[in-house]
Amino acid sequence: MHNKILFFVGWLFLLTLPFHAVSQQDYPNHQQLSDHLQQMARNHPDIINLKSLTKTYGGKDIWLVTIGRGTVTERPAITIVGGVSGDRIAGTELATQFIEKLVARASNDRNISALLDSITFYVLPDMSPDAREQYFAPLQYERFGNAKPADLDRDGKVGEDPYNDLNNDGMITLMRIKDPTGNWMKHPADERVMVKAQPEKGERGQYLVFSEGIDNDKDGQFNEDGEEGVFFNKNFSFKYPAFTRGAGEHPMSEKESRAIADFLFEAKNVFAVISFGPANNLSEPLRYNERDASGRIPTGWLEEDIKINQMVSLAYNQHMKGNKLPGDNDNNGQELPEEHDTEYDIDTDETKSSPPDNRPLSERLDLSNGKGIPGSDGDFFQWAYFHYGRFSFSTPGWWIPATTDEAPGSRGSRNGNRAANQDSNPELEFLRWAERENINDVFVPWTPISHPDFPGKEAEVGGIKPFVKKNPPYELTETLATKHLEFVLSLASKRPVTEIMNVNTESLGNNLFRITVDVVNRGSFPTVSQLGQRNRWVQKTVVRITPTENQQLISGKMIEVVDVINAQSSLERSWLVRGKGNLTIRAGAESTGFSEVSVSL
Amino acid sequence: MPVAGQVSDGFPVGNFFKAPGTPVNPKVEVSWNRYYTYDGLLEISQQLVKAYPDLVTLESIGKSYEGRDIWVLTVTNFSNKPHREKPGFWIDGNIHANEIQCSEISLYTAWYLVELYGKNSFITDLLDEKVFYIAPSINPDGREYYMRQANTVNSPRSGTIPLDDDGDGEKAEDGYDDLNGDGHITQMRRRSPFGQFREDPDDPRRMIPVKPGEFGEWELLGLEGLDRDGDGQINEDRIGYYDPNRDWGWNWQPDYVQRGAYHYPFALPENRAVKDFVMNHPNIAGAQSYHNTGGMLLRGPGTREDEHLYSRDDRRVYDALGELGDKMIPGYRYLVLYQDLYTVYGGQIDWFHFGRGIFTFTNELFTSYLYLHNQPEGWFGSQKDQYFFDKYLLFEDAFVPWEDFEHPQFGAIQIGGFKKNFGRINPGFMLEQDAHRNMAFTLHHAYHTPKLEIHEVTVNDLGGGLREVIAVVANTRLIPTHSSIDLINSIERPNYISLEGASVLAGMIVHNRDLNLVEEQKVHPSVIEVGNIPGMGFVTVKWIIDGGRNFNITVDSAKGGKISYSQP
Repeated sequence: MHNKILFFVGWLFLLTLPFHAVSQQDYPNHQQLSDHLQQMARNHPDIINLKSLTKTYGGKDIWLVTIGRGTVTERPAITIVGGVSGDRIAGTELATQFIEKLVARASNDRNISALLDSITFYVLPDMSPDAREQYFAPLQYERFGNAKPADLDRDGKVGEDPYNDLNNDGMITLMRIKDPTGNWMKHPADERVMVKAQPEKGERGQYLVFSEGIDNDKDGQFNEDGEEGVFFNKNFSFKYPAFTRGAGEHPMSEKESRAIADFLFEAKNVFAVISFGPANNLSEPLRYNERDASGRIPTGWLEEDIKINQMVSLAYNQHMKGNKLPGDNDNNGQELPEEHDTEYDIDTDETKSSPPDNRPLSERLDLSNGKGIPGSDGDFFQWAYFHYGRFSFSTPGWWIPATTDEAPGSRGSRNGNRAANQDSNPELEFLRWAERENINDVFVPWTPISHPDFPGKEAEVGGIKPFVKKNPPYELTETLATKHLEFVLSLASKRPVTEIMNVNTESLGNNLFRITVDVVNRGSFPTVSQLGQRNRWVQKTVVRITPTENQQLISGKMIEVVDVINAQSSLERSWLVRGKGNLTIRAGAESTGFSEVSVSL
Repeated sequence: MPVAGQVSDGFPVGNFFKAPGTPVNPKVEVSWNRYYTYDGLLEISQQLVKAYPDLVTLESIGKSYEGRDIWVLTVTNFSNKPHREKPGFWIDGNIHANEIQCSEISLYTAWYLVELYGKNSFITDLLDEKVFYIAPSINPDGREYYMRQANTVNSPRSGTIPLDDDGDGEKAEDGYDDLNGDGHITQMRRRSPFGQFREDPDDPRRMIPVKPGEFGEWELLGLEGLDRDGDGQINEDRIGYYDPNRDWGWNWQPDYVQRGAYHYPFALPENRAVKDFVMNHPNIAGAQSYHNTGGMLLRGPGTREDEHLYSRDDRRVYDALGELGDKMIPGYRYLVLYQDLYTVYGGQIDWFHFGRGIFTFTNELFTSYLYLHNQPEGWFGSQKDQYFFDKYLLFEDAFVPWEDFEHPQFGAIQIGGFKKNFGRINPGFMLEQDAHRNMAFTLHHAYHTPKLEIHEVTVNDLGGGLREVIAVVANTRLIPTHSSIDLINSIERPNYISLEGASVLAGMIVHNRDLNLVEEQKVHPSVIEVGNIPGMGFVTVKWIIDGGRNFNITVDSAKGGKISYSQP
């Protein structure tokens, strides 16, 4: 009996330990993440509610963490989403640490604690748990698809050509085969990096390059149909890329995409969605494009919403700079993308599954070095704006700073010689960055193997390890998470807030009264986005006057739906009421909160 | 044509004498001149299963929003071949709640097929070779709501998920009010010195607008209802509104682009059940989704931007069938949805065609042409025809006579007008004819799903123990095994033509047999993958084999069925 109690106490003690006190050295897997979330929910039942929205095909929970005190559904909310893409495991970590750090801050910062009475955070740390788990699997590779069997190459057979770990190192990298028909060559500045030869510059290809594997089904393609299923970030209904690899059989076909959509459509109080994924409109805002923004089906952000994006982006950059994170430039710490390179890889799975020929380097290798793209077809980020009607922000959360402008011979350039292939090369930049930051263990040296599909040919396996280019070393996540927390808190302070002000009552004689009020939006966001004004699933501001039974409304609307109240703007409303008594006026919406005044006549 | 060995129908059967084209003494007696509730449809379905257990089964493919089963009848000759190895034909109805005759027409089809199996050779062959999957109502909640609640001829179109139509944060708080309690939502009128309407001297029930410069006696106040929520509007937030036929996963667009779209593609449980069933039955090669009204045989696409995806070959198939239907059903016209009707994003017809490669028609059942054979004016024909028809052929059964009512907001008014069952659905005596004609069109559509035949097998000795086997596989119907969009997107797996029982050294598709233009398949030559077997066309394949005198050839096509041939 005594022992039992001791054991129980010890167990409680363990539960209350901060998660990282148990010395997390690497990203947590799904089980560890689940335990951690459950522990936080148990420790803070007053402000954290944990719910599983569904279980994936792979049997993993899609967690929803609601943070806030009291009636969380009737005040503005920000939704934070991680695991948008299974290769970006850091996003899940940033979302999880957001919860942890917010709760910690709330316990010793009265303002933050009070904030949890007036705003709600919905955090979905991992939308791709089946895919993310591949990081922890015996065979590690950047995976995007869930566990539902899918015919990725649409040849009528499912999963018939997976990766193969040819050098038995537990991870999938690249393979290169010396072949006169190949159009790849070693980078002159670093022979570990493979680049496409540019014949017009006198270069000659000598290698074929593929992802690591054999052509299991002998169809001439390598690893084009492995065990992964549908990609969360390609399954959404905005610009759905029908019948492309990983998109699924139809839009919103997956439990994961439906679970988050079903939740969000019920959550009328959400005014902004922040996701950690390949898309980026935070370090650089989207640009207004009139052609895209007009027409029956807008595909570009509307003008007023772009202005909000600019405001939020400014805040993001302010919060991201100044921290001496490894990878920040020494000069001003504000290493931010300038122009979106149209050559950016869509940042999906191109590295690993491409057919042997006709794939430009820019498609095979992630040229953005994780910096992100303005959005991709069928993704979550764009869906949240175009189909859910809310402000949608996305960031990869972390990326390698570019070193393109460094002069030959400067620090980081291996041998000072880039006579050929002077194009920006992200792999090279990544390797230089890692070397500069003393981050080792990011490259699998090219090792000769004997390849059954290339008998008698010189074949090697090697390359940058999976995940390392898109995700920071684990120890950097703490600082990144703090920065992102501060950013989200700044966003929270800008939330739209409806308030009824300047209540004025005039007696016109003989029990006839005129009531005048201002309905004010005190926030820096409009009550709804410009596109959201068209979207019926976005709740508009409702102004409602409720007279008592003895009173009669002579003029003015009993119920009025107001399309939008812009940031820090107001509208005046007045009513004529006959009869004495206490009537109420209520204005607002779930996403801006409700304001109610009682008027005594 | 009767099946051989049948008793001649030149003599009575019991007390009955055969009318041509209709079962003379059906095992299941159904009155095809009235409409059936959800339970009524189920009861007939169960009777069919009981009477013809070898020809029809009944299963629930999912639940509606309110928890009703979505029933599907599978109709085929179950004894000759697994139904999944036959080309399949999908029929559904009633996706729009108020379009109720779709269900009776679907059920009439099931009834007709089983009652005439073994009696009529066309029907018998059809059930031997094809399988029909028939879902009489894929919106059972809406059907029940239409029948059991007060409604107009146009309501409800959606299912019964309550939504906030007027944006005030309340859901379905101000629907119709059946003020006179008759189950029909009709018109409200009030005497007014400034009225813009007067009674038609030919039929005083009818309100006609006054001439310019005149006042009439009546003003029209809209449909029966109250301002329940005090917002100054009447009937502005009814049950629904969403459109189940804007919920499908091809070119889906949100509500601000495509009115009626719900949250996302297949967000509605009824459609999701249908979608899952169709995905799970890749043998479905043709489909019909019944709607009303207007007398149309519609093909897709729903939007102009998708027109280029209908290849010439595909259009030919649709045109051949559509033009046939045009002749079979007087008053009906073969039309292209986006071009001749309106633009539809996320329509069912498009998902079937583009999302699954299924040749699909939507028949808009009933047309006012059928009243008096006058060319229709607008959707419901001329009002004058409607009043005339109701007065002289229905003896005013379709009209609620104007009666006084004291309205809380409008005061002394009158309520009256056409009933909800008039205008879009068939009057009783006209239902069976429309059911039969539309069914006949659909059966011909189903007839033209692929029919594969191993037309010829030739074995040539090449010497040295090698032989070549040439097989010609024909499709003797209009619909190809793979539509153009199917081939572009690899929606369905290829057809597999395989040779077993001999050692296959090489296999190839023969593009031109005379000139020996062939395309070798280097991997797995025994199972030749053929992208498409075109409608009214054939493919030729060739194997080089070593030994094996007796071999089998199998053609395995998702939409064309599975057939085999044995070399003796």
